[in-house]
Amino acid sequence: MRDPENATVEVELPADFDEFWAAGLADCASYPLDAVLTEMPTLSTARVIVYDVRCTSYGGLRIAGWYAVPRDRPAPYPGLVTIPGYISEPTIPKEWAELGYAALAVAPRGKLRSNDVFNPGYPGLLTHNIVDHNTYGYRGFYLDVVRAVEVLLDRPEVDELRIGLQGSSQGGGLGISTAALMPDVIRCVAAGAPYLCGIMTAPTLTRSYPYEEINEYLRMHPKDVDRVRETVAYYDGLNFAPKVQAPTLLYLGLEDDVCPPETGFALHRVLRCEKRLHTYPHCAHHAGLPDVMRLVEDFLAEHLDPGTVDR
Amino acid sequence: MNFDSYWAAVDDELAAIPGRPLLDLVPARTTDEATFYTVRLTSTGPYRVYGNLSIPAGDGPFPALLLTPRYGSVNNVPHPNDRSRYVVLSLMHRGQRLANEGFAAAYPGLLTMGIDDALSYIYRGIAADCLRAAEFLMGLSEVDPARVAVSGDDLAVLTAARRPRFSAVRVTDLLFYRAMETRLESSHYPLEELNDHLRAGSSAAVVEGTLSYFDPARHAPAVAARTLLAVDDPDWCASLTAVLPAAEVYKLTHLDGADNDFLDVWLAELSGVRPMSRFVVG
Repeated sequence: MRDPENATVEVELPADFDEFWAAGLADCASYPLDAVLTEMPTLSTARVIVYDVRCTSYGGLRIAGWYAVPRDRPAPYPGLVTIPGYISEPTIPKEWAELGYAALAVAPRGKLRSNDVFNPGYPGLLTHNIVDHNTYGYRGFYLDVVRAVEVLLDRPEVDELRIGLQGSSQGGGLGISTAALMPDVIRCVAAGAPYLCGIMTAPTLTRSYPYEEINEYLRMHPKDVDRVRETVAYYDGLNFAPKVQAPTLLYLGLEDDVCPPETGFALHRVLRCEKRLHTYPHCAHHAGLPDVMRLVEDFLAEHLDPGTVDR
Repeated sequence: MNFDSYWAAVDDELAAIPGRPLLDLVPARTTDEATFYTVRLTSTGPYRVYGNLSIPAGDGPFPALLLTPRYGSVNNVPHPNDRSRYVVLSLMHRGQRLANEGFAAAYPGLLTMGIDDALSYIYRGIAADCLRAAEFLMGLSEVDPARVAVSGDDLAVLTAARRPRFSAVRVTDLLFYRAMETRLESSHYPLEELNDHLRAGSSAAVVEGTLSYFDPARHAPAVAARTLLAVDDPDWCASLTAVLPAAEVYKLTHLDGADNDFLDVWLAELSGVRPMSRFVVG
């Protein structure tokens, strides 16, 4: 019988963890953001204006996103970056704009519209160069979310003091990493069923994808296990979590076969920020969806104040 | 063109072009429980589509499971639990990743691609891809022809209707069913694509006419298999349930661990294999 709340999930913190990510941020900063927004009239509505967004990120690579802003209320707006799941494409965040947010759905490298240069595929991303933390596929992917936040900071209609992050699964995991990398900017994080936490433990607790990709990799490359462990430690949400300062909402399915709840509880334990945890018995990776979205909306509204909310 | 002649033409096009399957072993996904292959097949167009095929270890024949593609660029690899019990084939339709040579589907965009003419609508080809996958799966010697199931969204219903040798249909989502009504309820994608398309000037009557060829309620009377509809609102689906000859309805609880287990048990019992929960490892 599993006891997710009390399970031991440990990750070694690399000695140069902070320097590693500082170098990545410095690389991003060496490129002009060069954000280009193109209004998309056929995707816009009476209430929301939609833009195609392109900007330059880590390594000089151009990435994409969808940006949606309210048409029917005055600026400034709180900013919200929505982060996609592992196999999901970012959808146009009209519903968040309808609630009063300037919402940017980022397509990190490898997602459609951001995959001209880097395209490890699905399955594939989780194990792309997984024996080398310097070239691991997720390095640029993580930093692309940071870059999306910088696009919001660059927008005159966005209140730079009210920027939050929202996502589930991979979106939840990268919400944690991004909040840790931008502690002075991010005001709140809503993270569901967070992925990329306890990365080496999770594949021992599930045979579901995407963690099963690691089991497959090690089946073919058993001697690489130490190098894999070294690499993913730089990317593990448990190592980012203590650096998060923003209030954080976590929600977990207690029968989640994709992101085992043991890893979500471990994340909650190491967060030092103001934090809330909602757990859902008999729920798997949906982690309380769709009902939990009302809690997510209320949490974001509490911290980002989008004004009167039309539901 | 009426409904029957529209789909008869798809069948004729498929019959005229051989599938020419190519299988490649995938050692990383091959275990003591099952052998894993990638598959490439020719569908209408001609277009080469992709599948993940797994065959259980041991002496067959085995029950089989076709997983029709979801709406999105990626479908997950079949779960090891399914690989240990079924000959399982998951399809990537034209334009999805791994089947995007020459044509990469856009999201948003795929749902309305070519929708102003039923003959050019992208889902005509996608449906053909599903039918080709069904033909391939049913032709494998390891498959027990009396125990072949299909699982997915409306495409599963359509596939079972057009290839009546299926014994079970498990419907876990609906995309085309009453789509022109559902699109008005929110700005959720993918149905918001219909709203985007109509705002750009297309005719609602034309769009509705095209979608009608894919309405599962029109295909349902031809489904001979036992069918499970897992839905939020059974009342909303009443007009579909009423025309499925052997339908059961499961009202989703949104306790998705429990829902997943129910769906697994339903198919396992029909297929004569043991139920397995994905949350239980070992």
